[in-house]
This record gives sequence, structure tokens and C-alpha cells, in this order.
Amino acid sequence: MSKTYKAALLEAMQEAMDNNPRSLIIGQGVTDFKGIFDTVKGFVDRYPDRVIETPLSEDSIAGICIGAALNGAYPINTHIRADFGLLIFNQLINLAAKYKYMFGGLFEIPCMYRMVIGRSWGQGAQHSQSLQSLMAHIPGLVVVMPADPKSIIESYRYSIQKYKGPVVMLEHRLLYELNFENDETKLSHPIFGSKLEIEGTDITIIATSVMVLEAKRAANHLKKNGISVELINLHSISHPDKKIICKSVEKTGKMLVIDTSWPAYGVCAEMNRIINEYKPSILKVPSNSMGMVSTPCPTAKALEEMYYPDVHDICKEVIKMVKKDGSEINLPKKISMTDFYKHFKGPF
Amino acid sequence: MESLEIYKDLFYQSLRIRLVEEKIIELYPSDLIQSPVHLSIGQEAVAVGVCANLNLDDWVFINYRGHAFYLAKGGPLPEFFAELMGKKNGQSKGKAGSMHLASPKQGIMGASAVVSSTISHAVGAALISKIKRENRIFVTNFGDGALEQGAFHECLNFASLHKVPILFLCEDNNLAVHSHKKERQSFTLEKLVGSYGIPFHEIEEGYDFVKVQKLSKISIDEVRNTKKPVFLKIKTSRYKEHVGPGEDFSAGYRDKNDINKWKKLDPLLQDKKLYESFLGKINNEIENAVKFGLESPLPDREDLLSDV
Ligand SMILES: Cc1ncc(C[n+]2csc(CCOP(=O)(O)OP(=O)(O)O)c2C)c(N)n1
Ligand SMILES: [Mg+2]
Repeated sequence: MSKTYKAALLEAMQEAMDNNPRSLIIGQGVTDFKGIFDTVKGFVDRYPDRVIETPLSEDSIAGICIGAALNGAYPINTHIRADFGLLIFNQLINLAAKYKYMFGGLFEIPCMYRMVIGRSWGQGAQHSQSLQSLMAHIPGLVVVMPADPKSIIESYRYSIQKYKGPVVMLEHRLLYELNFENDETKLSHPIFGSKLEIEGTDITIIATSVMVLEAKRAANHLKKNGISVELINLHSISHPDKKIICKSVEKTGKMLVIDTSWPAYGVCAEMNRIINEYKPSILKVPSNSMGMVSTPCPTAKALEEMYYPDVHDICKEVIKMVKKDGSEINLPKKISMTDFYKHFKGPF
Repeated sequence: MESLEIYKDLFYQSLRIRLVEEKIIELYPSDLIQSPVHLSIGQEAVAVGVCANLNLDDWVFINYRGHAFYLAKGGPLPEFFAELMGKKNGQSKGKAGSMHLASPKQGIMGASAVVSSTISHAVGAALISKIKRENRIFVTNFGDGALEQGAFHECLNFASLHKVPILFLCEDNNLAVHSHKKERQSFTLEKLVGSYGIPFHEIEEGYDFVKVQKLSKISIDEVRNTKKPVFLKIKTSRYKEHVGPGEDFSAGYRDKNDINKWKKLDPLLQDKKLYESFLGKINNEIENAVKFGLESPLPDREDLLSDV
């Protein structure tokens, strides 16, 4: 049975409301006719007390969620752009992340901050950012980037029903409308784990969020050309499964990290730290990373195409790293990712 | 007679807080307390008078200047000293220290050292209380400096919009570190609060714990009865430097005469007879609490890594 990313989000939210009477959905637009891209649409009619439209006050709303959690609720705070989530950083980093530790375990703050990475069709510098590493840096925060419907169902269910601390869910706008076939791959842990998507022998690709899909497309193309890619979907940015990562890189001897964000001080850097601290000698060729160009995001389509790596660029890098002698490999045609994932129809 | 009893009781509680802080001043040079302390000396009557009207299950959300509220709301004294000394038997195993006091059993929720950052927590807890149809109230306590933060204004708006049972309690000592209110504020607080439809009350005699108790009761009862936000500002006076155990009149940013005027009205300084009569008992309790702190073991590596 196939399912879209956003249908899985709707299902996860529905389950939160039905199975956990403490759940509260709170944010700008949660009661409007769009319902956070259909993921909580109509909920206010069914749960009028537990779906709360808010003023444009991100900072205090994030704190209100902390107070609500202290009084027994499970708040789910939505942000239609992760960029707006920057306004909650005081509450998220200074308070929510530290509440348990700073008070020596006297309190727990179970809550979820859902943030949508807006990358798509000309979203520009302030509606498109992938800010996972800023948050994953902070002890006390769990940061997850689900890349498919199954990961959504598992990680949201676990966060909402079992986990007792703050979780940041970074959802990717490009994925929302996509249909996924049911697959057999499994997360090693719903929020403290990663997932081996494809087994292979020539190179390990570690990817996040929408880049998992792009890497899958690359792996398919490369497979037809005799290159066997092992693909790891990182999933938990704050708590990746180091075992899966080290084991894979030890097997293939090559690591390419593909993140939705900037490589410096981020996921790419962290993967290199993990391998270096494990056993640097397992790398047979220098590791490689791909992410956004280190500039703010431009709006012009022509520039945006150069800004984000895609299947074409991935194949090119992999071929460079694997260097199968003699054989010529055709690169896939360069088509814009937003065009390819055409299901996205703007304007937001 | 009853009012004399109230006077004595509140005097005792205020004096207890003052003597605890004077003990901190005494201990400070020994380096037993190795972290910043923001003393409430001069401001005790606010906490004591307000908390006299609160029930155990009413929650207060406080800040880094939190000794007075912690003690007035019933936070345990031995664990307080152990916490300040960074010991394992402290309320928070020494991970909190003076700036992050908490004791949920008595409804003292976490204190933050980021100005204005727990106001929204009180609003959120009050919101859930309303949804659950509980019968209790929430107090958020902050200084005059917190009034300038955006989050404070956001909270007035939300609390009023959603009609949650909260007392916004401003402890106005006219200072934020070394800057006076007139250097920082262009708005009229009463009008500002009023524009959100929130009733505004003010107590000028913040040194008088009986008056604070009586008048704050009106505000607190109003929150209980209307189940809506109420704002109460209490004028008070910080005798010591902003942070640390000393005085700072020589720095020249404020006039010692202003504090002296206040001190002339301060019952803890004026009613010597009652002061003497309580001294022995309170000091005895403090000595035992200090001893508890001294004897407590240090936190260990397991404590370092737990509670993340
Ligand atoms: C967000 C933030 N900005 C600045 C500071 C530094 N700071 C600590 S206390 C303080 C003064 C606060 O004044 P007020 O709210 O009146 O409280 P008081 O110290 O007088 O009790 C300042 C500016 C801080 N802790 N947090
Ligand atoms: Mg002040």
C-alpha cells in the first residue's frame, strides 16, 4: 500500500489526538482551512479544546508549550517554516533542552516542535533553511528528519507516547506530496537511530531527508552502471546510529555525506568526526560531502539549481570516488529537483 | 490580636529569609558557594506577603533572584544550602545552584537566569489548568527589567485572549543591574496592561509584609474568582549589589539615601524586640541546614551524565 508523506503526518497527528488525550496541537494556522498542509485539517472541529490557534508570538508560544508540558500536556507546536523556528531558540535551547538537567531531574518536558523545511520553488533566503545542525548540537534536544511515511509513523508515535523530552521534527516540504511505496527497511530506533536503505559494496552514502530520495535515484542509476551503493538514511540527526555508519564505511572504504544543509559544522562534519574517532584508516579514499553551497539561498531558479546538489551531481561525485577503471558511465540528465518532484505546485 | 499574630508570623518568615541570605554573605568569602548569588535582601516582604495567600498546589514561576520565593513558598532549607554549595543532596544535585531553584512539591517551578523567560511557562501551565478545569492559580514573578522583553508582551496578549488564571507579579526595585527604569522605559505600565484588558493593581509599601499580604490577597482572589489574568506591581528595594554579597553605593549609580529611607520603614530593621525574640530559633535552623550542606557528598560522574 502506498502513502504520501503528508498522509503519514496526518495519520501521526490523528493518532496523537486519539491515543494520547494529553496531546495538544498549537501553532499559527492549525485551525485554518489549510491545516498545516492538510496534516491537522479539520482537527479543531473534533478536538476544540486541544487545537489552539496562536498569535504571531513564536517565542512565548514555545514557552507556553513548556508550561503546558509541566502541567501534564503533550504539546505539538507547529512552524510552517523552520526559519520561523529561529524565534523559539531561546525557549528551545535555554529552557526546553535544559529543563530536566538544570534542575537535576525534577522536571521533564515531553513535547514536539514540528518545523517544515520550506525548500521548493523559489522560497529564497528565509523560507528554505535546513537548520538541523544548529539544534542537534544542543544536548537535551532530539532532532529527527524523517524521510518517508513509515519513519514518520514510527518516530512520531514513539515521541508522543513514550519519550519524555523535547523532540524537533524537521519535515521537508518537497516530500509532502510524494507517494511512497511500502518498504521493508527498518529504523534501528524510532528517534535514536538510522536506517540502512540499500545494501551495497562500493561506497557508503549517508543522506538526510529529501537527499535520501535523491541518493536513491543516484544509486539506481549507478547500479545499472555497475556501481553498488550502500545508502544510509541518517534519520536521527542528534542521535545517529554510529554502529550502522561505521560498519558500512568499514565495508566499503568510502564515505559520501549528502545533507540538505551547509556542510561546515553540520551533518557532514559530524559524520567525519564519527569515522575519524572510530578508525580513520577504514577510509580508502578521502571522504566527500555535498550540501548547499555556502551562501544564503538565492530565489532565482537559475541560481537555486546551482545551489542544491541533485542526482546528477551525486552520480558525478560517486564516480569520481569509485573510479571504476576504463568504463564510461553516462550521467543522468540534469533536471531540477523541484521539477522532478513535480507534485509540488507552489506557491508555498 | 489576630492581626498581631499575622504580623508576627510574616515577620518571622521575612526575617528567616534575610538571615539565610546574611548567612550566604558570611559564607561567601570561604568559597563554599562557588556561583553567582542574586540576593533578595530588602525584597523579602514581597515573596512572604504574596505566598501567604497561595495554596500548596498553586504554582509560582520565578527567576534567578529566587531565594525569597523559594523559601516563602516552602522550599526545604537544608537542600537549599546543599544546592548552593554544589552538593549531591541539593534539590537539583548541585546542577542548578542559586540561579535555578525549584521544588515542585511546593509548587516552585524552575527558575531561569534568562530575563523574562519563565513568564510564558506560567501562561502555558495556566492554559492547561483551564482546559483540565482545575481549581488553582499560577503566579509568574519577574522584575521591572523583564517588562521590556517582547515575550512579556506576548504573554499578556495570550493570557488575556485565552482567559487563563494567572497573576503577573512584578517586583519593581526600579533597577535592572545598574540602570534605572527611567533610562529604559517609555511606556506607562498601567496603560499598557490595561490595553490588554488585564486589571492592574499596585502596592507601594513593599517593605510592609502585612500590607503586601492583605493587598495581594485582593489580586489573588480576583484571579481565583474570575479565572482570568491580573497584574500586580509591588514596589520594593534592593539593598545589595545586583549580583554578589556586597553593597555598591560607592559606584555612584544610585543614591544611598533612597535605600536609607526604605530601611527606616523596614520592620525587620525597626522592630528590634521581635527581631531578638526570633533570632535564636532561626539561627538554629540555619546552622543545621548549613551543616546538612557541608556534610552532603559531592555529585559524581554519574550525576554529571544523568538527566539529559
Ligand atoms: C535575556 C537576558 N538579558 C540580559 C540578562 C542580564 N541580566 C541579568 S539580571 C538583569 C536585570 C534584570 O532586571 P529585573 O528584571 O528588574 O530584575 P532584578 O534583577 O532587578 O530583580 C539583566 C539585564 C539576562 N540574564 N537575560
Ligand atoms: Mg529590577
